[in-house]
Amino acid sequence: MVETKPSLAVKLGKLRLEYPTLMGSGCYGSGQEFAPFANLNKIGAVVLKSVTRLPRLGNPTPRLVHTPAGMLNAIGLQNPGIDWYLDHEVPKYAKLPWRVVGSVAGFSVDDYAYVCERLAARDEIAAVELNISCPNVASEGETFACDPKLTASVVRACRATTDKTLIVKLSPNVTDIAAIALEAEGAGADALAVINTVRGMSIDAETWHPRLGNVTGGLSGPAIRPIAVLAVYEVARVATIPIVGQGGIETTRDALEFFLAGAAAVGIGTANFTDPRIPERIADELRDYLWNRNLASIGEIVGKANVGFANVYEYEGDEG
Amino acid sequence: MTTLDLPVRVHATLVTDRRELAPGVVLLGLDAPDVVAATQPGQFVMAIPPSGEAAATALGVYEAEGKRASLLFFVTGNRTRELSELRVGERLDVVGPLGNGFDLSGKPSRVAIVAGGVGIASVLLPAQALVRAGARVQLLYGARTAALLVEAERFNEAGCALALATDDGTTGYHGYVTDLLERLPRVDLILACGPTPMLRAVARIAATLGVRAQLSLEETFACGVGGCWGCVVPIVRTSAQAPRFPPANAGGSDFVNARICKEGPVFWSHELRW
Ligand SMILES: Cc1cc2nc3c(=O)[nH]c(=O)nc-3n(C[C@H](O)[C@H](O)[C@H](O)COP(=O)(O)O)c2cc1C
Ligand code: FES
Repeated sequence: MVETKPSLAVKLGKLRLEYPTLMGSGCYGSGQEFAPFANLNKIGAVVLKSVTRLPRLGNPTPRLVHTPAGMLNAIGLQNPGIDWYLDHEVPKYAKLPWRVVGSVAGFSVDDYAYVCERLAARDEIAAVELNISCPNVASEGETFACDPKLTASVVRACRATTDKTLIVKLSPNVTDIAAIALEAEGAGADALAVINTVRGMSIDAETWHPRLGNVTGGLSGPAIRPIAVLAVYEVARVATIPIVGQGGIETTRDALEFFLAGAAAVGIGTANFTDPRIPERIADELRDYLWNRNLASIGEIVGKANVGFANVYEYEGDEG
Repeated sequence: MTTLDLPVRVHATLVTDRRELAPGVVLLGLDAPDVVAATQPGQFVMAIPPSGEAAATALGVYEAEGKRASLLFFVTGNRTRELSELRVGERLDVVGPLGNGFDLSGKPSRVAIVAGGVGIASVLLPAQALVRAGARVQLLYGARTAALLVEAERFNEAGCALALATDDGTTGYHGYVTDLLERLPRVDLILACGPTPMLRAVARIAATLGVRAQLSLEETFACGVGGCWGCVVPIVRTSAQAPRFPPANAGGSDFVNARICKEGPVFWSHELRW
């Protein structure tokens, strides 16, 4: 008897992934750090830590604070800069049996295009994610994702540099994320990562100091999941390109919320800090979930709960 | 696609014993032969929360003998509270052992170990290893108050000389444990684990005394395995522990950020820039 297992494969532009799970940028190194503890045969890809044109030392410590149902981070895009990165880091990725997606951050449209072009030109890099939504750098890190015009300029400039899949990572710290998503799609994005971290801070009542060296940070983990599900839901209503939904996914149930809201794939970041076996568990359980419902592929559930928004009736009270 | 070896270093352990050493101070014994076999003095594990609802907690391996490893920790928040509520027979999964522990290869003959509070959890293994190698080990152990000076007796049994200090004077010297270090007869090596202000004092005193010191640093971890760069400390570029990645800045400064969870948690005090 031939038993066809339900397919978990997904396509993001030209990039085909065996599993619909991407390890969140900045959370997973290149995957090598987690390989002794996690089963990387059962992930779609690792999104690498964001890289910039010039080296960055990153923010002062503390860079991490655990908060209820999540954590704040303010790493500050510590990275060796694109030159050193291409010479010393990227060559190591050639031997990795899992896919790696490069992540680009910058401070000008030109920065993004320059780094994107050089990164995407490398065979080791399967696709590029544009991190236009980092909340943790003093100058304008997040401005790009907060301004529809700037979003379009960055994406258009990067699009011109490569045919590889371009994923644009959106910020939740905006009024209308769907509008930004449309700009990114219009400018040539192949997929949208929704969402990056939510801005937040924590203060120590003993010392009277903010707990993070950077004062403010980005909140991740289960605390932001409902915010992320809504963002995916809103974006899915307008965008036609695939969405990589992320924000607080720890279990298969959590991942399903994102698929049902309209995500074609999911990102897993902070959950790896809870238990490195989570991505494998989610992959196995997603397969079981589809199997039990006689569904052939994960694509069949994407957006199935996206029913629009409830009508708002004006309540007309009895007169008199 | 090539397949990888399956994960080997997440260990399912069972709680074999549990003791409350003082209010809010818990010692959990685990049936964990793989952890015992692999652990070097000063290494830690990430304890996966049984509920799966919070980040894993980095805890130093306190004892490691035969099949039993143990964890000694203070209950300071939700995550340690959850671990403290584990009962004998229940399961606790741990990742590790992780990090670089104490370097005892220099065959020191007289060693001072400075432990502050919960820092005691990371220094029993090096103390035992040093005594076994024939070194004379002096433990300088400080805490807020007498009741929190847990497990001092254990170090006596292990063959260490003991000097105690408390902030409130309820036992031993009334004041900082580092004051005791200043008055100690000459040693060849200092090891220290405890709160950051204590470690800074140890670093200063060690420099004045001209004695090398290894410090086990304390920091909040996220991944614990070197993947997120959340736990860094600046270290001289020439250190054997300095990561090749990344350079501190374009101008080529003489220090780089090392990850406390990966290149550490133990560093030579004279190589730190903090
Ligand atoms: C410690 C840490 C570092 C991160 N660094 C980056 C980064 O460099 N670039 C980026 O695009 N996102 C970064 N993120 C955001 C994550 O990739 C992810 O989008 C976000 O945390 C939400 O998902 P999660 O709740 O599953 O972690 C980082 C998150 C964390 C917790
Ligand atoms: S905690 Fe992630 S690198 Fe140390």
